[in-house]
Amino acid sequence: MDAKRRLDYATYAVFIALIMCAPLVLEEFWLNRIAKFLVYGMLGVAASLCWGYAGILNLGQGLFFGLGAYMMAMSLKLASPTSLQQGSDKPVPDFMLWNAEPGAPTDLCCINRGSFLWLPFQHQWFGVMMGLLVPVVVAAGLGWVMFRKRIAGVFVSIITLALVLLVRLVLIDAQPLTNGFNGLTDLGYLTIGGFEFDPYSAATYYLVASALSLSLILARMLVETRAGLILQAIRDDQNRVRYLGFDVPVYQIFFFAVSAAIGGIAGILYVVVADFASPTFLDLTFSITMVIWAAVGGRGSLLGACIGAILINTIEARVSETEGFLQAWRAIIGLIFVLVVLFLPRGLAGLANDAGEWLTGRLGGGRRRATAPRVASSE
Amino acid sequence: MPAALTIDGIGVDFSGVKAVDGVSMVIEEGELRVLLGANGAGKTTLMDLISGKTKSTQGQVFLYDTEITNWEEPAIARAGLGRKFQIPSVFKELTVRRNLEVASCHNPRVFANLGFGLPRAARRRLDEVLALTGLTAQAETIAGTLSHGETQWLELGLLIVQNPRVLLLDEPTAGMTAAETHRTAEIIKDLRGSHTILVVEHDMAFVREIAERITVMHLGQVLAEGDIASIESDARVRAAYLGSRGIG
Repeated sequence: MDAKRRLDYATYAVFIALIMCAPLVLEEFWLNRIAKFLVYGMLGVAASLCWGYAGILNLGQGLFFGLGAYMMAMSLKLASPTSLQQGSDKPVPDFMLWNAEPGAPTDLCCINRGSFLWLPFQHQWFGVMMGLLVPVVVAAGLGWVMFRKRIAGVFVSIITLALVLLVRLVLIDAQPLTNGFNGLTDLGYLTIGGFEFDPYSAATYYLVASALSLSLILARMLVETRAGLILQAIRDDQNRVRYLGFDVPVYQIFFFAVSAAIGGIAGILYVVVADFASPTFLDLTFSITMVIWAAVGGRGSLLGACIGAILINTIEARVSETEGFLQAWRAIIGLIFVLVVLFLPRGLAGLANDAGEWLTGRLGGGRRRATAPRVASSE
Repeated sequence: MPAALTIDGIGVDFSGVKAVDGVSMVIEEGELRVLLGANGAGKTTLMDLISGKTKSTQGQVFLYDTEITNWEEPAIARAGLGRKFQIPSVFKELTVRRNLEVASCHNPRVFANLGFGLPRAARRRLDEVLALTGLTAQAETIAGTLSHGETQWLELGLLIVQNPRVLLLDEPTAGMTAAETHRTAEIIKDLRGSHTILVVEHDMAFVREIAERITVMHLGQVLAEGDIASIESDARVRAAYLGSRGIG
């Protein structure tokens, strides 16, 4: 293992150690806030995997996040005390009752036409499983259609962008089932084996931090495999890969689905931490914001994109406490994006990488310098 | 010698335009065949038809005894036919070694490739190919920073590492300096005998250096076939392609 890679792994270890130690110094309010940002960090990982490694610029990552979130929120809605106190021995979401036709039975099976779909969500494990499965199945199906047809580049971005908007519309329109614009609020706690995950507790923070650490490690391992290497080759020249005998769409579908799975899990966790799900998760601006996180952090680095997400959100949270900045924030973030694209195409991770290379070159002296990439170029 | 690549009356009709029209040729195992022809003669289209990029509207292609007519590109590649493109295509953001590692993945299935690294034999083969293509010193260089000639050799290396039974090379010396062209000829001569090779080429110095048998195409059809002396003296070839002054 060369020095650069060792440094790389060390950065992962330091990052994971840092987020694991955060509860020691943070109070409840910030703990919950940072937990949300760590969820965004997972979205950064998903964006980097998809965009940086697979070369697929997904402008609708919010779709997978939103689907995961709603699946979880449906389960947690049924676990909420208000759902349990609607005059029936079975839980019924309050908004369904408010909008029920006169005389409709107070039962999930038939309070309105689609409400039976909620029935299995009484089991929280079902909500969690669907939160993972639905995004994966949607991504695989979408990938199947797009990548088999050899759709690439900006067209993938347009399709994903259109799809997230379409699903958002459907979600809002299916008001009797989804509470439309208002989303799902007043949720119960996620309960695993009798343990309740209070959004403001350290336990919930650790749940999110572990999920982020795991997805970082797994995603990193995945891109280090031969399949990950082939994926990067597809990003660089998919035709060449095809003529080397590989089924390009299968690789693209696989990694697109993995990225969607991370997005889905992020959605699940966000609901646990933030206590609501809303159609704003499927807003275009949110999906594009994810791309900005990844660009600023460095799309070519899983950890970079993750840190980009956490950093931008932490700054945003700080800045928005000052009223004047609150309005200017969008302009500031837009400016940062433009500056990064122009002057730091590899993002903060690229900057850190160059610094690391310089450092290892320094420490290893002339011996290392000869093998450092780019320096050894023949030109 | 068994026939490695048999092309039988292959042709394609692009809504009225027949870019390749009933081309037949048999290339024996271990042979190095050069395909010659003016621009628009249908050389690259013929390669597209063989490698599955373009679907033919007539004729058949056999790789040894297997008919591969109009198969999907990856299936043809897996059957043992490697193709190099006119515009060199390599994986620009990966190092030279990583480029070759991609081609070294033996099993094309995604789940079979969820492991790390390559078996010892594949790594040894990779080092051999690095040496053969003269890229050993550049092994850790990012492919995007290679010179044009080196990029061409790397793409050649991608094919060689897979050990295909038949190699299609589309203008492997395009844009190369004389020294680079000579080096490419050396690589190709190294492959001769162990691989069956079909080369499209314009550079006559290069053709003289490597050619055994030459097939000349003109307007989508085979005009002549033979060794370099008989091609140079063929009156129809002179008229169609070479001009009255002869080859080169």
